Parts: sequence; C-alpha cells; structure tokens
Amino acid sequence: MDTKWNDMDRQPEREYYAASLVKREDGSLREGVPAERVGRVKPWISFLAFFLGVTLVIFSAGNALSRIVWERDPFPRFVDDWQETDSFHTEVSSYLRDFLTIAVGGTPDFYTASYWTENDTAYGTAITEENPGILDFIWQRPRSAMQEDTGTVTYYDYGDGFAQSSSRPPAEPAKEREPDADYQHDKNVLYYILRNKEGDAAPKTYTNTKVPYNGWRKAPEYNFFLTFKDGKVSISKDGQELDVYGDGVYDADSLWFVPGYDNFPVSDQLEGVEVHMAIRKEPIRWYGVDYQTGNTYYNSSMYYIARNVEQSRNFYRAQVFLFSCGVLLLMVWVCLRKARVYADRRIASWTVRVWTEVRVLLGLIAAFMLLFEANWLPEFYYSFRDVWYSWDCGWGSLGMPLLRAAVSSVPALLFLFWMVWLVRNDHRYNPKEARRSLLRPLFRRLRARDLNRPVEKRLSRNWAAGMLALAILAAAEAVNWIVLFVRMIGYRSIHIDGVMLFIQLPLAILSIPLAFAVYSVWKGRNLARDIGRLADKVEAIRAGDLTNPLLMPEDTDLRQTVDSLNDIQAGMKAALEEQTRSERMKVELVSNVSHDLKTPLTSILSYAELLRQEDLSPAAADYARIIDEKAQRLKTMVQDVFEVSKAAADQLPIQMERLDLAKLLRQTLADMDAQIQKSALTFKVDLPEDPVMITADGKRLYRVFQNLIDNALRYALEGSRVYLTLKPAGGKAEASVRNTSRSELPEGVDFTARFVRGDSSRTDGGSGLGLSIASSFTEACGGEFRVETVADLFTAIVTFPLS
Amino acid sequence: MNECILVVDDDPEIVGAIAIALEREGYLVRRAYDGMQALELALDPAVKLILIDVMMPRLDGLSALLRIREKRNLPVIVLSAKSEDTDKILGLSMGADDYVTKPYNPQELVARVRSQLRRYTSLGDVNAEARQGILVNGRLSYDPASRTLRADGDEVKLTPTETRIVDLLMRNLGRIFPAEEIYRRVWNEDAFSCENTVMVHIRRIREKIELNPKEPDYIKVVWGIGYKMERHG
Repeated sequence: MDTKWNDMDRQPEREYYAASLVKREDGSLREGVPAERVGRVKPWISFLAFFLGVTLVIFSAGNALSRIVWERDPFPRFVDDWQETDSFHTEVSSYLRDFLTIAVGGTPDFYTASYWTENDTAYGTAITEENPGILDFIWQRPRSAMQEDTGTVTYYDYGDGFAQSSSRPPAEPAKEREPDADYQHDKNVLYYILRNKEGDAAPKTYTNTKVPYNGWRKAPEYNFFLTFKDGKVSISKDGQELDVYGDGVYDADSLWFVPGYDNFPVSDQLEGVEVHMAIRKEPIRWYGVDYQTGNTYYNSSMYYIARNVEQSRNFYRAQVFLFSCGVLLLMVWVCLRKARVYADRRIASWTVRVWTEVRVLLGLIAAFMLLFEANWLPEFYYSFRDVWYSWDCGWGSLGMPLLRAAVSSVPALLFLFWMVWLVRNDHRYNPKEARRSLLRPLFRRLRARDLNRPVEKRLSRNWAAGMLALAILAAAEAVNWIVLFVRMIGYRSIHIDGVMLFIQLPLAILSIPLAFAVYSVWKGRNLARDIGRLADKVEAIRAGDLTNPLLMPEDTDLRQTVDSLNDIQAGMKAALEEQTRSERMKVELVSNVSHDLKTPLTSILSYAELLRQEDLSPAAADYARIIDEKAQRLKTMVQDVFEVSKAAADQLPIQMERLDLAKLLRQTLADMDAQIQKSALTFKVDLPEDPVMITADGKRLYRVFQNLIDNALRYALEGSRVYLTLKPAGGKAEASVRNTSRSELPEGVDFTARFVRGDSSRTDGGSGLGLSIASSFTEACGGEFRVETVADLFTAIVTFPLS
Repeated sequence: MNECILVVDDDPEIVGAIAIALEREGYLVRRAYDGMQALELALDPAVKLILIDVMMPRLDGLSALLRIREKRNLPVIVLSAKSEDTDKILGLSMGADDYVTKPYNPQELVARVRSQLRRYTSLGDVNAEARQGILVNGRLSYDPASRTLRADGDEVKLTPTETRIVDLLMRNLGRIFPAEEIYRRVWNEDAFSCENTVMVHIRRIREKIELNPKEPDYIKVVWGIGYKMERHG
C-alpha cells in the first residue's frame, strides 16, 4: 500500500499527462486525441483563448451589469444628448429654484440645494471637482433620514457606521457676498434675474454676463434657453419650444420641477420676478475667484453631467468591445477545445503538487477577500435589511440587491471563477490518491494505531469526542437563546432586526435537530460496550467456542444481531455434531458393509477352491481360476476400503513405538525381494547406515512402504529405475520413492484420493487405494505424506519427525 | 482317523463348503446352523473339534463357546468376519484355540483343523515333554539336544543354517533380534547388508512351519526393529 502511494507521489505528472484518455462526465474513459496529433502549441493557444475569453466575458458583462444595477436610472446614459438626462432636468430645476431664491432676496444653500432633490438622491457627490467619478453612487438613499447641520459640515449617517461628509466653504456672513456669488463664474449657465416688484425702490437684477439676455440666442454655443416670466416657465431647445407642464399636474413622470403646475403654483413671493437662463450645448469647466474674500469657485455641474453621459457611453462601448473580443476568443477555443485537454492536464499536473493544506488556506484567503475585501458581506446584509424594512417585494427588492451584491466586485467574481475552475480541473484529471497532503500520512498513522485498539475502545473514544462536540454546540445554542431573549426583552416590545432574523432565529431553530442528535448519541452510550462484547464473541466463536451463547441486556440496540449470532453459533454446533455423527455412521456403515461382503465372499472363495480341485475340462478349470483370482482381489479391496475409511475417521488403532526407519525400509525391501527381483525394474536404494529413529506404528508404516513399492512395481515404466532414498535432515526423516510412470501422468489429480489412479481406465490389478492407504496411514502415525509429479516423474514423499 | 468335526455357521453354503473340504480329508462332519444347535451337538463325545462362526442367530458363537467349554475340553476354531486384532484377542481369550478370519483359504483352514486335532489327540503330555528339556511353543516343539523341530508332532526338515536360526529363536521366545544379531550369531561373521540374507532364510523356515506363510503365526517381523518367535500358549 505504502509503496504504491509513494510511487504515485513521485510520478504523477508523467502518468496523467501522457495518458491520452479523457474522463467522461460519468467517470468512464474515452480515447482522446492522440498527443502527437495535437502538437505543443495548439493546446496552449486553445487554453489562452479560453482563459482570456472567459475573463473578458465575465469582466465586461460584470462591469456593465454592475453599472446598470448600481445606478439609479442607467438608461438615460444611453441617450446621446446629455440634455435629455434626468440629471440635467433635475439640475436645471435646481438652478431655477436657486435663482428664484436669489430673486426674492434669499441666499440659496448652493451645496445642499444642488445636491438634493425630492428623491433624496445624492447626485451631488458625483459632480464635484474632487469626486468627478461615475461610479460613486454607492449610496443612493441615506440609510436613515437623520441629517445634522453643524454649520460647517453636514454629516450623513447612513446607518452602517460609515459617515460620509461633504464639506462646504467656511461659513461667512451672507451680507458680504452677493447672493449669486456661487453662480457667477460658471458660464455654462448664463442667467439674468430680474425682480421688479411694485413698491420696490428700483428693479434688482443679477446676471453673470454682460450680454443682454435677448442677445443670448445669437451665440451658437448656447442652445438651451429657459425663461421664467409671469409665473410660467418656457423652455426652448435648439430653437424649438418644449412642453414644460404637460397636462399641468406635477407627478413622478414630470421632467421639470418648476413652479407653474396646478399642484405646484407660483407663490406670491415671485411677483415681478423674471429669470432667464441659457445653457451651453457643450459645457466646459469654469473657474472663478472672488478676490475680496479669496473664495475659489470651480463648480461646473453641467460639465460633469455632460461628461458623465459621454464617459458612460464610452464605458458601455468599451464593455461591448471587450465582450465581443471575449466571445471571439471563446469561438477560437471551441474550435481547438480538444487540444485544450492537454493544457488542462498539464495544469492539473502542476496543481496536483500543491498540498491540500495550501489549497484550503488559499480557499480561505479567497473567501475572506470576497466577503470582506469586496464588501460582499455588508452588501448582502444591507440588501436583505432593506428588503426587511421596506417589505417591498419583487425583483427590485430582493433580486436586485442580490445582483448588486454579486457584481459589486468584478475582480472578486473573476477570482472566484478561476479558483473554482482550477479546483475542478484538478479533480477531473488527478485521481484522489495522487493528491498530496501534509497531514494525511499523520492521519494514516494515527488511524493505523487506532485500528490496533480493541473495537470497544475505539468506539467509546469516538463516542466521547462526538458527545463533547455536541455539548459545545448545545452550550453555544443556549447562549444564543439567552442573547435572543435578552435582546427582545430589552426592547420592551417585540422588535426584530436583521441580525436576529437572519442569524439568531435560524440558529435557534437548529436547537431542534441538535436536541435529537444529543438524544440519539446519548442513547447509544452503551453501544460501544455492546459492540465490543459482540466482537469478542465473534472472535471466540472463530476460536471454536460453540457452547456459551452471548448474553446481553434485552434492550440493547444490537438485540437482533446478538440473537442472530447466537443462532449461528447454535447452528454451527449442530452442524459440527451432525458431521461427527455422520462420520461415525459412515465408518459403521463401511464396517457393516465389509462384514456383509465378506460372508458371500467366503462362499465364493471356498467353492472356487473346491471347483479347482475337481477334475474339470481345461476351459472350465480356467474359468474357475479366473473366479478365484477376481474373488481374491475383491477380498483385498474390501479389506483396504475398511482400513482406509477407519483411518479417515481417525478410528484406526495404532501402536506407536520407536523404530529405525532405515531398518524398516530394508526389511520391507527384503520382504518384497521376490517381487522386485521378478520385475523388470532396477531399484536404486540409498539408505543411511546409521539408525534413523522415529516414532510410529511399524505395521502400518510397513503397509505404507509396501504400497509405495507395490505402486512403483505396478506403474513404473518397464526397465526403468526406481529410487528409494531416506534422508534425515533438519529434525526430519524424509523417505521418498521416485519412479518414471509408464503412462502419462494427468495434471491436477490428487493421487492420494481414494480410487484414483494415474491411469483412469482401471484395467490394472490395483484397488486404487494404495496411495490412499499410504497417505492415511502415514498421517495416522503422525507423519506427512505428499506426492509430487514433474512430467512423468512420480515422487511419493513420507516425512516423519526424528525422535 | 475319521474324527468327527462339528461345523457351525448360519450360512449353509459356508458349512457345506467346509464340510466338503473336510470330508475329502477323511473327516466326519456334523453340521449346525445356530448357537443352540451347536450346544446340543457339541455334547456328543464323538465330536473332536468345533469350527464355529461368531455372528449367528439365537446364540452367538462366542457365548456358545463359553458354554461348551463348561462341559467339554476340545479344540475350538473360531471363524469370524471381524478381522481386527481386538476381535482376535477377544476370541482367543474366551477359550478359542485358533481364530480364522473370513474369507479364509480353505486349504489353510483344513491345515489348521489338522494341526489342532494332532495336538489334542496325537501329542503326549506337554508337561512331560517340558521335563525332558524339550521347548514347546504352540504347535512347535524343539529339542535342543537333538536339534530337531517338530510341528504338530511331525519333524520339520531344516538345513543347518535354518536349524541355527530356529535354535536361537526357540531358546529366546518373544525376544526381538535385529537381523545383524541373527547374522552374527548364526553365521559368526560381521553383519553387512544382511537383511536380505536373513529374510530369505526366515521365509524358508516359515514355509516349513507356518500354516499360512503369508500371515505367519510364529516367526514374525517386528518392523523397524527385527525378528522374533511369537510366544504361544
């Protein structure tokens, strides 16, 4: 096992990169494009196309989407003419309001006035010199309506602890400044304010140009003209009069927030007031300094509105371009995607070397970056909280915040995508075993050590660990409940906020499954002990204990298993008894059968003998001889069967004594000398001169070697040599009879089985029990018997321990 | 001659076959087919020897043997299909003079019958012989003085070497002699691969004295140790 792992660690790259098999989704393998047809460059072009294509598509789509969902009203951005945007309409309305304020002798609060519309939308932050960006509309609405005027600085509490401030010029006495001081320098908006109220000493005028207002239309730079006269606003753009009031009622669809509607009538204050405005077609930045006060003026709000529209347009164009490039690259990839597999594999072969721990760490860092660096967590939080507060259901209330949060950081999105891709690629091409880990060897060693412990200890340790974990969880849950309770009581009325709703309540609900888990684990506290006892019992049964059943409490979870085990034990015991009984019955049967065979055999032999003594014709005498011979053979077989079955049932009476095996072999050879001499075989006998003392039953052992020699005489190739050797070695005496078989020896035959012969035709004189008797007698005497065959060489080996 | 022999077996064919074999040898044969019949017939003084089977209906052979022994002293040969040593010993200990296992060789059976009759009828007093320094062992008697061996009273013709071997074995009944020792003491030479030589002579002696030389009763091989003359009662 270990070596295999090490090998994989050493050679992962070559193995997986070289293989031209591609894993299918279902895990099966298919033949990929052979490496030689792919070349070295194509895979990388394909991969690069894939990488850049995906990156560009995600980047451009993400950016565009982010802009669209983050801006309040993104669609006017697609309008070519900046003078048709909401911002322009609002800004014009603000200017008019300020000018009317000036006309009636007030001082407009330039900053707040121009920054805030009735929708409480902070347009202003986007169109100042310091902050002319286009993506700064993060806070569309103040999170809470609290607004505190400290005189110099206005703080906006957005409810999230982030304070956004907008400073304005140091406050100075209004008297020292002209009320229109803030508007003087900005020639994008020309104005002429006239107040000619009856009773006034003289008509009061304010203007920022020397050109009289009726001469403005001659200047080609200006194309937008607004006139407030006699309580009516009239606007002409590019020489065309615009319909300002529509149906005369101001509502959400109305473009111009100017007095003169039915529901927004002109106040009496504006009696005799006349305002003329001209707005440049292509605004530029204007600057001005009031040398009396030293104030510097650089407000050019129209310029920023126009510029924003243009930039926005360019931005979308750029995104479309990038997106198209990405799609083009992806098309290249689709054409070459088969080749990309090799690049993927190569990358996988690099990533596989990264330790699992490093991966987890990188993953954690990525998650941290996404959640905190890219502001995802607060985004989600506020999105949901808005939903909670407003109860405003629908796409705009739930889907939009989600989408906004998702696209709030496109780089984070890209990073996430490629991380996921890398992990997937790694899992696709690298088998689990190839992955590296610092901790795995440690875990494996711990696990191996753990496996050596008794099952009971292991289980109870696991149980204790599980219980501890559950206890900690339960404690945390209790704290959660207390906090929840205190918080609710603390408000003196049921008050639910986002933290409670989205964090504490779900956690509180988890108490129910936790309680179940605690209950079931606690209920299983005795399980480890019971399983331990069960395991011990299984071991005991394996060791042969078939008498004592396993006693366990009635209510144990393992009741059925324990009963089954006891049944198995009882069954095994019964089977064993049955086997012993049937073995004994078999011997009795064979014994009875051999007795019953012997009686008729006695008659046959007796009468055959009598027949032979009669004066018979030669043919009849021959028949009688054959009957006698066959009856004799039957007699031998009956005796052999009886003895073999007794030996097989371990019921062969044996008398063990110390004897000299060498002498026994010599005696056997001498005893069988006549047969040996008669045969055409040569016996090569190699027996040691010194006694080879063993303990055995001499009579039975004589039968063993008698049978072996008889076997050789019967089946050895005529004229061949039979080798009989005895060698004492290593505390054992090994006697062997080796001969070349006359007929071909079949392979895979157990020659010691009863009635098996090398020649299965059974035409020779043997009973087929010779080797079986030799084998069973040897074993009954405490020796080992085995037969080895190599081609036609037959070797019977009898081994006894020396004594 | 013309001794009367009682043959008892529940198988009439076996009784018949034995009867024919015995009658050919000139014996008179009386037949019985179970233990009870055997008891009746055995009381006839004319019966000189009984051949009795063990497993029989009504009364088994060994029980019948015990009850016959209470009344008469005559040779009894037990026939049995049980070939185990333990069965043989049981039969002999219950008063059988010989134990023959089925299936037997008819000629051997007849020889055994003859041997038993000779010992009971022809031979003189065993004790008297013993007093004259004659060594008696079952069917065999050896006179060390004249160096003659008799089997069932008939003198056995032995070569000088065979006589020396018989002399050694008869003087040491039951003692086991390794082949080397026999060789040294008989041939007076150092023993060197003498097993065959000794065995050849022993086989020849067996052929002269044993009723069935293949299953000898007297000169036996003790495998892995040597040879001995079995002691008989």
